[in-house]
Amino acid sequence: MLYDKKNFFINRFMHYYIRWIVGRHFHNLSFNSIETDPQRSILLISNHFSFWDGLILYCVNDRLLKKKLHVMMLEDTARKAPALRYAGAFSVNKSSRDVLQSLNYAAQLLDDPQNLVLIFPQGKLYSNFVDKVYFEKGIWRIIEQARDNFRLVFSATFIQYLKHKKPTATVYLKSIDGNLAYKSIDELAKAYQQHYDLSKQSETEIIL
Amino acid sequence: MLPSRQNDTLSRMFYRFMRWWMGRNFKEINIQPFEPRPGHSILLLTNHFSWWDGFFANYAAFNNLKRRLYIMMQHDHFLKHWYFKYLGAFSMKKGSREMLESLTYSAGLLNNPENLVTIFPQGALYSNHETYIHVENGIERLIKQIKGPCQIVYQCTLIDYFEGLKPRAYMHHFDCGVAGEVPFEELKQRINDFHQQALKKQANMEH
Repeated sequence: MLYDKKNFFINRFMHYYIRWIVGRHFHNLSFNSIETDPQRSILLISNHFSFWDGLILYCVNDRLLKKKLHVMMLEDTARKAPALRYAGAFSVNKSSRDVLQSLNYAAQLLDDPQNLVLIFPQGKLYSNFVDKVYFEKGIWRIIEQARDNFRLVFSATFIQYLKHKKPTATVYLKSIDGNLAYKSIDELAKAYQQHYDLSKQSETEIIL
Repeated sequence: MLPSRQNDTLSRMFYRFMRWWMGRNFKEINIQPFEPRPGHSILLLTNHFSWWDGFFANYAAFNNLKRRLYIMMQHDHFLKHWYFKYLGAFSMKKGSREMLESLTYSAGLLNNPENLVTIFPQGALYSNHETYIHVENGIERLIKQIKGPCQIVYQCTLIDYFEGLKPRAYMHHFDCGVAGEVPFEELKQRINDFHQQALKKQANMEH
């Protein structure tokens, strides 16, 4: 397992670089405002359709949630783009026993109220047009271990062009009251699916 | 209504330029396999979700459908971008009597089997995630006036990213039948069925 790296100068460089590159690639990045609790860390669950997801949510965190972002990514990607480890990425290897270590590390990070852990429960890249968001089992282990130390936030990202040359990314956020609201991973997946469907519906209501 | 002054040489030069420009902005323009009917002109109905749509249609017309492109543009846009008339654009003023003239002109173009006319049946910009394709009634009037053999093709363009940093455009083409043989209500139904098929296909797209 590869951990995220800390170096004041490189971390700052990555911070400005991500903000610059997202600003350059997208026409606009829009998201809705949600309430956050300074006493609790955040577990952010999002759909995964591109390399940009993590970077988009890095910017959303920078502008709205104001926590220290950590993101779980596949070990192959972490090896291909090692610089991302300076932006809070740690790895998971689904085909080895290391996976437990990664899940424990994620749960441990949630103990600190300053932290935000971003997880893509789909576990790999899917199309932006999927109707159903698949949940891998690992996420439930993190939730069980971290108990009540964090706040759960759902996020659904969609890409839109409309009249501009560059794409617009729209992020729909929803904060969940009480982490123990869900008794099993199926209930969690169902609640996320409901948020995803509603977000997609709002997305299709945009007409120019 | 202002007609097109399409010029083959300029169109070809423009296609080459756009191919380069789109190559810079997109990782891939992926046209799903589709064979147009030989000896038929094509009425290309496409979903309208972005600034790029006309160029996607231009790309498909040159690359896959192998026809001379004509495209219907809103009158105010046409006046602003007057140079598009040399590349196959003609104007249409929505909600006026001139609109009928534009529809007759399009039908006339479609009598020649070498031509292709692109129309955005939705008449406005919608999201790329839209599940229902609204078809304006003008299409019915246009189809009724076509005399030569003309195939109606629905093109659904969807944008996806997957691994790359640049977006990929996937174009799905569907044969909606020959003009004059498909009743308008059935055409609307077919377009929406095909749109659903394209969304399903895209969700399971290999990458």
